[in-house]
Amino acid sequence: MKAKETFIPKREEPESTRPSAAASVVGVSKRFGKASVLENISFDVAEGEVLVLLGASGSGKTTILRIIAGLEMPYTGKVILHGRDVTELPARERGVGVIFQSYALFPKMTVEKNIGYGLRIRKRKRKKIRETVDELLSLVQLQEHRKKYPSQLSGGQQQRVAIARTLAYKPEVLLFDEPFGALDTQTRVHLRREIRSLLKKVNVPSIFITHDQEEALELGDRVAVLNVGHIEQIGTPYEIYNHPATEYVATFLGAANVLEAVVRKDFLEVGSARIPADLDKEKFREGDCVKIVFRPEDVSLSRGDLPRSSHARLASARIEEITFVGAYERLRLRLDKGGAEECKTDETAYLLTTETPERKPSKSIIATRPKPEASASRLYVGEKVSVALTSFTVLPQKGTKS
Amino acid sequence: MSTVAPAMRHVRGFDVARPLSIGVLVFLMLPLVFLPLASIFIFGTSNGLDKFWAALTAPEAIFALKLSMATSFWATVFNVIFGLFAAYVLSRYNFWGRNALIVTISLPTAIPTAVAGFALLLLWGPYGTLGRLLTPHGFQIMFTAGAIILANIFVTFPLAFGVIKPVFDTMSRSLEEASATIGATRWQTFWHVTLPSLRGAIVSGALLTFARAVGEFGSTILVSGNLAGRTQTAPLYIFAKFNEGQIEAANAIAIVLALFSFLIFSVLFFARDWLDVD
Repeated sequence: MKAKETFIPKREEPESTRPSAAASVVGVSKRFGKASVLENISFDVAEGEVLVLLGASGSGKTTILRIIAGLEMPYTGKVILHGRDVTELPARERGVGVIFQSYALFPKMTVEKNIGYGLRIRKRKRKKIRETVDELLSLVQLQEHRKKYPSQLSGGQQQRVAIARTLAYKPEVLLFDEPFGALDTQTRVHLRREIRSLLKKVNVPSIFITHDQEEALELGDRVAVLNVGHIEQIGTPYEIYNHPATEYVATFLGAANVLEAVVRKDFLEVGSARIPADLDKEKFREGDCVKIVFRPEDVSLSRGDLPRSSHARLASARIEEITFVGAYERLRLRLDKGGAEECKTDETAYLLTTETPERKPSKSIIATRPKPEASASRLYVGEKVSVALTSFTVLPQKGTKS
Repeated sequence: MSTVAPAMRHVRGFDVARPLSIGVLVFLMLPLVFLPLASIFIFGTSNGLDKFWAALTAPEAIFALKLSMATSFWATVFNVIFGLFAAYVLSRYNFWGRNALIVTISLPTAIPTAVAGFALLLLWGPYGTLGRLLTPHGFQIMFTAGAIILANIFVTFPLAFGVIKPVFDTMSRSLEEASATIGATRWQTFWHVTLPSLRGAIVSGALLTFARAVGEFGSTILVSGNLAGRTQTAPLYIFAKFNEGQIEAANAIAIVLALFSFLIFSVLFFARDWLDVD
């Protein structure tokens, strides 16, 4: 094969039709012994794009990263970097940059030695190395720390050195393995904004791994949500937050209420309520049991039995608990009648919040109200309110994959 | 009573237990450690410094010291390199029989040195398992400096390994992985990343091995043949001169060896910060 390629000149495809993927993972699966940790993972990262792999621990996100980096071999599938199949190449020949959670800075080298390492082992000229190091030091704003050792730097500074160290040799793709995991909340938020703007500046395609949904939404141009070894959904932060494809995605990204409903001709039946819905006839048929998913901020509350005309009235409910959480207030409501009778198992609704990721059967839903609304019309525990939905997503009942 | 007890321990803010316990500690160490060491120096210099110097510069004494240093040096070189290699293999790879190997490497510390010397004789000696086959071909390692090195290697076998392996075990794999993703070969990674982190362990492992080898007696006396001016190391010289009644001669070398150990242990003790620097 190799010999042939040298004889036949490679035809350059026109720029416009060429896939713009800088890095692709094609049908990758991985097993450790008999346990399958990844199943048929495929995704592309475009030039300059930031893709976030979001998943709980054990979802296989780190394994994907290690496979791209060449630190782990896939069981099946391919890794392609800028059109080059690197699946069989060892880590050192792939030209990827990995930023480890533990920073992995070389403890016996100064900051500038760490940053210049990639060029030193590539036997670049001293002058050239010095120039690049100077450039990167000013890019990550660590000029005055160049002679320091990693142990003399703060976590955030070490992470910036680690990024500069990988940028030095112009990697094809940057891989971030939970880079902010070891930092305190303030530094983390600060650093991720810094890195976001840095990445836009250097325009290197990047893959981020995190279990923090806030981080994923803020950092990613696109987010892939992973669940036990497969991708549940991949899309822009807006898409996956507002149009979750599966219940897992809905509940993993922030708090979500899930109720069961039955599909009727042009509405959904939720308990005794009818919610007008224009559903895809291909996907849902009349009489199907479905789930409707909505976020606490999608719940609109009004006093008494008067629904707001513009919103889909769901049910009336009694306020069980009101918690003040700073920017908004959170209410737990017990629905008078929640869920569809026909689909009833023993539970009709889930209470799902970020604080308690496990499912608790309950007939309660969670609603939030922003501060202005909360103070304009105060509600009290025990009061009866009318519940309506400003927006919601309908998901098929069975199976989590769409 | 309960109100009196604290008052007894602290006489106006003064903790009586402190000087008392320190005093007991020093008093106990006096006959066990301090006085024996002191007597070497007191005795060695009692007949005047010129006598001491003459005893020290006797050709056989000089030879014994040189031989001890040389054989210990080569044993140290071997055991540090071997210890590094063994620690690398045994902490990086998990395989069947790994623990058995670790125990075997550590075993020589638990074996009496006389047994070690005897075991070497039984292998390499003129009638030994291997020696029997080699001696007719003119190969005889026993009763030469080579035998002393072999004995030194045997008895100091686990020392460097024992210091280096824990450092390997606690070293984060991500350092080597980072180096690989940056583009380094295995050798570059080892040279630039792994080895610098082991510097402290290698130096202290080498010093321990050397100190232990210089003082080795039990195995050396069996395998060397104890030939003055040919295979007599410093500890053997002390023993031989003592048996001949030449106490001054024995004492001069004893002082040198004692000072030498002081030196090594001061380095280990005071350079600890430098050795462990991260």
